[in-house]
Amino acid sequence: MANTTAIGTIAHDLPDFPEVVRTHQGRVFSIAYHFLHDRAVAEEIAQDVFLQLYRTLPSLESEAHVTAWLRKVTSHRCIDYARRRRPDLALHEIPEPASETMPGDPLMARRLRRMVASLPPKARIVVVLRYQEELEPEEIAGMLGWRLNTVKSQLQRSLAMLREKLGRTLGEVKS
Amino acid sequence: MKHLEDELRNAMRREEPPEGFAERVLAQAAATKQSVWAGAFAWRRLRWALAGALCLALVVAGIEYRQAQEERARGEAAKEQLMLALRITAGKLQFVQSKIQLHAGPWIYRDQTKEN
Repeated sequence: MANTTAIGTIAHDLPDFPEVVRTHQGRVFSIAYHFLHDRAVAEEIAQDVFLQLYRTLPSLESEAHVTAWLRKVTSHRCIDYARRRRPDLALHEIPEPASETMPGDPLMARRLRRMVASLPPKARIVVVLRYQEELEPEEIAGMLGWRLNTVKSQLQRSLAMLREKLGRTLGEVKS
Repeated sequence: MKHLEDELRNAMRREEPPEGFAERVLAQAAATKQSVWAGAFAWRRLRWALAGALCLALVVAGIEYRQAQEERARGEAAKEQLMLALRITAGKLQFVQSKIQLHAGPWIYRDQTKEN
């Protein structure tokens, strides 16, 4: 059944575009933000993704399809942006995030975010999708069109690198 | 391992975008739609203009063709009339010549023998 909205007609039983934006804005912005560690660029990428969605929405069939599409397109945009921008940033080049309220250890979370942002693009997006979106390696592989072994090895290498960096940082803090 | 993964989950918690993000996206989407419509409208106008120009060219070509046809028809008619007039004239001349030969034949012969 067609669903007519203020700014477009959407086929099937999907919610209208404004509702899709409000429902998924946190997801899309967070993938970009955790990947790039830059709120302004993350917002720009998220806007582009939603504008692309606006043109694509009539061809999407379900809410799950929309979610998968948003994850995929955001991930690819982030990787493309990181490749275009410059080589991977060193940890000391990653800006400190604005102060945020979060449960758990805020200092640890902040450190981890900076460390994730310093990973190579492929490893970074795997970590973001695994721990932000709670996707299984099989789902990540299917979504990005990569081999499962690639995703698993990227994840293991990322965790090893993060553990090592974290251990070094904590060691520096203790000493 | 488990501890690090839990810390990562905590660190990778969803972030809300800046205030007014959704409104900005919707405004841009509306602007995109307007520009798409403007483009479509411009294309539609261009198509009408092209169709008009084509119609005008067809009308002009039709008029030109008709004038050329009329001109040719007039020429053909004039040629026909001329040919008819020539045929009539030739017929008359032939008639006159035969009459002349009929009545003046012997004298013409006699005069020719005198000259010889």
